[in-house]
Amino acid sequence: MAHVVLKDLVKTYGSFKAVNDVSLTVNDGEFVALVGPSGCGKTTTLNLVAGLTSITSGDIVIGDRVVNDLDPKDRDIAMVFQNYALYPQKSVYMNLAFPLQMRKLPRDEIDKKVKEAARVLDMTHLLERKPRELSGGQQQRVALGRALVRDPAVFLMDEPLSNLDAKLRVQMRSEIKRFHQDLKATIIYVTHDQLEAVTMADKMAVMNGGFLQQYDSPAQVFAHPVNMFVASFIGSPAMSLIPLETSTANGGTALTSAEGWSLGLSPRNVQKVTKAATKKVVLGARHSTIKLHKSAVPGSIPAKVYTVEPTGDVTFVQAFLSGAIVNVSVPPNIAVAPDERIWLEFDQERMHLFDGETEMALEAD
Amino acid sequence: MSTIAEATARGQTRRRMRIDGWRWAGRIFLLFMLLYTAVPMIWMLITSIKSGFAATQFPPQWWPDEPTLASYQKLLDPQNSVGQDFLRFFWNSLFVSTVTTILSVIVAVPAAYAFSRFTFPGRNFLFFAVLLRNMFPAVIFLVPLFILMRAIGLVNTHGSLILTYLTFGLPLAIWLLKGFYDNIPVQLEQAARIDGATRFQAFIMIVMPLSTPGIIATAIYSFIGAWNEYIYAYTFLSKNEQLTLPVGIQRFFSENTTDFPGLMAASFMMSVPVVVLFLVLQRYFVRALTEGAVKH
Ligand SMILES: Nc1ncnc2c1ncn2[C@@H]1O[C@H](COP(=O)(O)OP(=O)(O)OP(=O)(O)O)[C@@H](O)[C@H]1O
Ligand SMILES: [Mg+2]
Repeated sequence: MAHVVLKDLVKTYGSFKAVNDVSLTVNDGEFVALVGPSGCGKTTTLNLVAGLTSITSGDIVIGDRVVNDLDPKDRDIAMVFQNYALYPQKSVYMNLAFPLQMRKLPRDEIDKKVKEAARVLDMTHLLERKPRELSGGQQQRVALGRALVRDPAVFLMDEPLSNLDAKLRVQMRSEIKRFHQDLKATIIYVTHDQLEAVTMADKMAVMNGGFLQQYDSPAQVFAHPVNMFVASFIGSPAMSLIPLETSTANGGTALTSAEGWSLGLSPRNVQKVTKAATKKVVLGARHSTIKLHKSAVPGSIPAKVYTVEPTGDVTFVQAFLSGAIVNVSVPPNIAVAPDERIWLEFDQERMHLFDGETEMALEAD
Repeated sequence: MSTIAEATARGQTRRRMRIDGWRWAGRIFLLFMLLYTAVPMIWMLITSIKSGFAATQFPPQWWPDEPTLASYQKLLDPQNSVGQDFLRFFWNSLFVSTVTTILSVIVAVPAAYAFSRFTFPGRNFLFFAVLLRNMFPAVIFLVPLFILMRAIGLVNTHGSLILTYLTFGLPLAIWLLKGFYDNIPVQLEQAARIDGATRFQAFIMIVMPLSTPGIIATAIYSFIGAWNEYIYAYTFLSKNEQLTLPVGIQRFFSENTTDFPGLMAASFMMSVPVVVLFLVLQRYFVRALTEGAVKH
């Protein structure tokens, strides 16, 4: 096992920068998820680490070697692809044996390792089949098996679960997690599903438009998103973002809406907004940090219900507020109807404030 | 209610009858086509086992009274001058066609792979240029190519034919194979490269086996094209001992008045390699034409 370092990594296609100055360190044995919307450069980044695409500039270190100019086969990595990329003409056994054959291992050792991998992944009975005779979940396992027979320094996985149905995905998710814990493997895992990233990874790297936005533990990213993109991308339903303006009236600082209401701030939040260079401030709040009232209480803000989505455990209420849609979760026993007038109370401790111009999170000292 | 049901039922029967009508028309058409192609072949075969006299009788003998393999014996007998010529023509054709086939596979496989996988300056232009060649009838190039062959001293050599057949066969071969490579996911090669193969090994060990049907189709296509070609062989070669079968048979038998059974036996033997090749490999050929064309 080994650590991986990306330093100022850049990949351009013509004038288009697919990966833009990405730097991050994956420690030995860590499970890092690379998340972001479609087209943000996740696959490109992974292919750069694998050596399947040439880097434009920057450095990649695996273990203690700079691998910039090494062939994929010399980087001591294994990769699992979204479409599994099993060799269609080879049996499962030969698929698993291929990486070992390429490394010129003696035949009996290959046989031992293949059978061991098959046993671990519970697919001994499938060894003689061709990939097309397997279900999606089984193919996925073979792909995983082919990566693990070789005992590589780093595992790279590119959306390995996205072709599976929802139930199987949840099951394989825990299997991969288990696999990581047992092997203490270093894993870089690409996904566009933030839930997958949050549940599986030790750390997550959130990307957008080729840039690395934030690299931290899922809990930290969830609690302290560095900007509006990360805030809205991580968490489901998404964090509500309400554009407002700072105002100072009779000595106090508050956020005012074009709708006419204003929201007083706690001293710490006042500190944040006064440090901003602009009057435009975006208020961010997750559904669970907003309280819904049927009548006005001090500090609450009037809003109008848009839709009500009962899910059983909780009911998600969407409300219109200052031109934005706000998600609120309420216990299922609270009945609200569309177009009903409600009052929302924000938790001062857990609200997020963003600079309306730069979209960066505002910090107190 | 009932009227609607009846109306739809009637509509369905009428539609079924119409479909059946078309189907029958199709069958009759196919039968007609089959007769059109098969009858001359059968007649060729029957004539080849007649005696010279029986072949020219009128009304014709539908089945020879005394079937004989004499014509075949004569053609395949290396002692006799007719046999010597025929065997030499056969060998010439086999040589030219085989070399053409091997070369066109050797060139088309990497070319098609490059067109499919790599982006390089002039890629689209080159690919278009390759296809452009196929938009003109072959005869247009007859005179220019003859002049060219004379300039490089290839007239009256098999090399001139091989070169020419390559320029005719390659465009379609490359195009056909490119379709194949386009349909092989690039991740397979990437997986192989990560599993320890070099780029070249990944191509040889993973991609090549998957494109075998395409390669076989390409080979059959080149072979048949070269085997049957007449005009260029007729123009480029004048020495008797160099002739290929199509020209050889035509010239040889117009000189020996009309030995119809001999001519038919020679024609039959000329079609044998093509038919055998096709029957053995047609599975791949059909797969190549459909798989290469359809994305899945
Ligand atoms: N070979 C290429 N040539 C030109 N542009 C490319 C090439 N490969 C990728 N790109 C571009 O680079 C960007 C990043 O692509 P990438 O495949 O890394 O996205 P991704 O984050 O993996 O997205 P997805 O979630 O859809 O897989 C995209 O805008 C894509 O169009
Ligand atoms: Mg991708």
